[in-house]
Amino acid sequence: MKLKVYRYHDGMKEPRYDTFKLKSDPGMTVLGALFQFQQQFDDSIAFHYSCRGAVCGTCAMLINKVPRLACRTQVASLIKGELKIPLSQFPAIEETVKWNPEEEILVEPLPNFPVIRDLIVDTTSFFNYYKFVEPVFKPADKTPEKERLMDPSAIPELELYTNCILCGACFGSCPIDGKNPDYLGPAALAKLYRFHIDPREKEGTDRLERANIPEGWWACEFYGNCRRVCPKGVPPLIAIAKAREQLNDINEKKEEEP
Amino acid sequence: MGGVNVIVTKSLNHDDAKEKSGSSPQATIHSHEVIIIGGGLTGLRAAIQIADAGLNGAIISKVHPLRSHSVAAQGGMNASLGNVPGEDGKNDSWEMHAYDTVKGSDYLADQDAVELMCREATSTVIELEHMGTVWSRLENGKIAQRPFGGAGFPRTCYAADRTGHNALNTLYEQLSDRDIPVYEEFFVTSLVQDRGRCNGCTAIDIKTGTVHGFVSKAVLMATGGFGRIFSRSTNALINTGDGHTLALNAGVPLKDMEFVQFHPTTLYGTNILMSEGARGEGGILLNSNGERFMEHYAPNSLDLAPRDVVARSIETEIREGRGFDGGYVNLDLTHLGADRIMERLPGIRLIAMDFAGVDPIDDPVPVQPGQHYSMGGIDVDINGATILPGLYAAGECACISVHGANRLGGNSLLETVVYGRLVADKIIEDNPIHLEPDIEPIKLAIIDIEDKIGDIMDRKDNGNFFRVKNAITDIMFNKFGIFRDSDGMDDGLVEIKNLQEQFSMLSPINKEKPFNQSLIQFLEVDGMLKLAEIIALSAIERKESRGSHTRIDHPERDDVNFLKHTVSILNGEEVDITYKPVILGMFEPKERVY
Ligand SMILES: Cc1cc2nc3c(=O)[nH]c(=O)nc-3n(C[C@H](O)[C@H](O)[C@H](O)COP(=O)(O)OP(=O)(O)OC[C@H]3O[C@@H](n4cnc5c(N)ncnc54)[C@H](O)[C@@H]3O)c2cc1C
Ligand code: SF4
Ligand code: FES
Repeated sequence: MKLKVYRYHDGMKEPRYDTFKLKSDPGMTVLGALFQFQQQFDDSIAFHYSCRGAVCGTCAMLINKVPRLACRTQVASLIKGELKIPLSQFPAIEETVKWNPEEEILVEPLPNFPVIRDLIVDTTSFFNYYKFVEPVFKPADKTPEKERLMDPSAIPELELYTNCILCGACFGSCPIDGKNPDYLGPAALAKLYRFHIDPREKEGTDRLERANIPEGWWACEFYGNCRRVCPKGVPPLIAIAKAREQLNDINEKKEEEP
Repeated sequence: MGGVNVIVTKSLNHDDAKEKSGSSPQATIHSHEVIIIGGGLTGLRAAIQIADAGLNGAIISKVHPLRSHSVAAQGGMNASLGNVPGEDGKNDSWEMHAYDTVKGSDYLADQDAVELMCREATSTVIELEHMGTVWSRLENGKIAQRPFGGAGFPRTCYAADRTGHNALNTLYEQLSDRDIPVYEEFFVTSLVQDRGRCNGCTAIDIKTGTVHGFVSKAVLMATGGFGRIFSRSTNALINTGDGHTLALNAGVPLKDMEFVQFHPTTLYGTNILMSEGARGEGGILLNSNGERFMEHYAPNSLDLAPRDVVARSIETEIREGRGFDGGYVNLDLTHLGADRIMERLPGIRLIAMDFAGVDPIDDPVPVQPGQHYSMGGIDVDINGATILPGLYAAGECACISVHGANRLGGNSLLETVVYGRLVADKIIEDNPIHLEPDIEPIKLAIIDIEDKIGDIMDRKDNGNFFRVKNAITDIMFNKFGIFRDSDGMDDGLVEIKNLQEQFSMLSPINKEKPFNQSLIQFLEVDGMLKLAEIIALSAIERKESRGSHTRIDHPERDDVNFLKHTVSILNGEEVDITYKPVILGMFEPKERVY
């Protein structure tokens, strides 16, 4: 089994690919394979890691042409072809190099982000979009002495969105982000929606208005890659569809009123 | 020495600063009233407090704050809210929380610090709620609470099995809203002192490889634990105890470093935590003969005996040859049935499938004990202050001593947020009397670090330093793990010394500056080797068994000789071990029976 890894640093004209023969132990993940590469082949390789348990969102990268968490992706399942995910293809994700999926694992940086070095990408704009949607709790009422009560039945829907670990896999998989760098992207919109449906916030559509712009709710073309790659099952697509519906309802009402 | 051109920035936006600085020999120095090292729950909570007091504070973190280890915490945060009545409809109180904590600590916790934490617990959980944290709820809409080991009440507030994730995201959201600057991917390399005060630090900007200076009136260490010194650990890979090393090198003592918690059930291979909830739901442990071995160790509580008991039992099975090849036993959930597993343990199932390729519905899950938490840390008083004026510490890197010899589940998340806030308050209170810090010592410190890195890079490569990293973690788990005895530990100490010796001649192969992650790991290992020695010496000297420190050669707790904190300090290259008394007051030490 071989690991074929994208290499790039400042001053290189073209990125290159390094191939490393892997000693694959049972249970080995792509992150583990990268450490093997670093320790035995070339310690200059750069990649992000932290929790190694699929909860911190640090290690998202393009593995066999699908954005995934390197720490969650098992080498053996890739080889057996169990991890195939059908995605709508777009230039940033499509073939850049020849690779043989039977005996190689292809590891590249997350698409739609500028590459800084090797597998490390610049997430500045991703977090700027996060900040743009004002992701901070704005309670409807004054702070009570005890906790605000919350209907437990409201929580499952809220959790769908609070589960986001801001890994950026969805952003990297999105054909729209690929062609329109100003599109806020699935994660930021899902985050916005999380606050919109928080029952402790003021009811209404104030929150939704924040992304009521061409680069917000309206830019999505429902390819659905975001949902398919999300390691936490977050459905940005549903948030976007519901937000649009609610904004349309308001517009209709406005039109009806003379 | 005067040849360094320095640019001092008071800007909130460090990008401005970077633009102004050229390449070496120019150095960039950033100035903030308070520097917080670490962006986990502790660091973020402190930063919010500092900003709200109108002080100019900044966070330095080697990873993006949301990638800090705190994000991985699962089970919950303790507070005597009393939302769920205990047995007989009794109500919980902070006093009972304090009692459980002190008893859990095997009476080594400082009772004044425990009292403060338990008193502040309820308002702290409610404060997070007010900031927007989504907690799990009861039918009546109040924050839900679940029972946890060692607690007399259902006291643990939780957000499903993602409590750390929810809390950390909430605090990060508040941080972003306040525009508090974060120096992200900066690896702190030294603390700087001037006229007996800590007045800043140096850090490598990992992206460029250049050393920056930070000048401040106070520094708060919030760097988390050192779990990765052990080969089997539930911790994030970045938990390498850097803050402990920084403090030690600044002449600040560490306390109770021998007390390291081991969790009985971590996934074989990766050691990702398999929550106690799995056994709570009825999971049973089986050895390679298919026997339910807990019958022999804890005939009454069986698989749900306290963590340290179960961890010791599993380890015994493995050592006596009744484990599976590679050293694990099985956690069997198959008899629970698919419905129950999917309803109650979905997260656990996912982890088992993702990381061991095992679906617990059909097959048992391979587990082994692993390092989980560091009870010891930087020696601080009840205000979070160290002996070095201007230097404070809080969270897992500190030993304010609320956990003593053994931490109860749910108390460390609590500690991070309570003391993140209280220690920040203390810094705010102390701040006005400070002199304007001088930047000369920072300039010298930058040169020192550049020289140190230069020396490391110039060493002739005669080996692969990653081997030393792997070796030290194996020694620590095998010789200073769940069971300890003087022969094994003495051998271990010799091996640690050998590794220190070997390491001093090694160097990363990569000599480039930008993103030299090999160098960062090298510096981490450098610190780990010293911490390993301190853990070893502290453990060798403590000739008793207390909490997580189990000595085969001294099986009893010895209050006459060892009801005291171990204090370790660097004296040149040597480590000096001394002791100081435990603060009692509320509860007299008793034998611990569960
Ligand atoms: C799997 C797991 C589950 C847990 N579950 C629970 C639970 O349910 N309940 C509970 O109470 N406790 C739990 N704990 C314990 C708890 O999560 C930790 O004790 C707590 O999160 C530590 O927080 P912290 O803020 O002190 O440090 P961390 O969150 O570890 O943050 C440390 C910070 O310091 C920074 N840093 C470190 N070194 C440097 C350096 N050299 N330069 C710059 N920055 C640096 C890092 O980048 C990071 O931002 C759990 C622990 C584990 C391992
Ligand atoms: S929505 Fe999913 S894929 Fe997108 S950032 Fe969040 S966790 Fe990652
Ligand atoms: S390292 Fe945390 S998600 Fe992969």
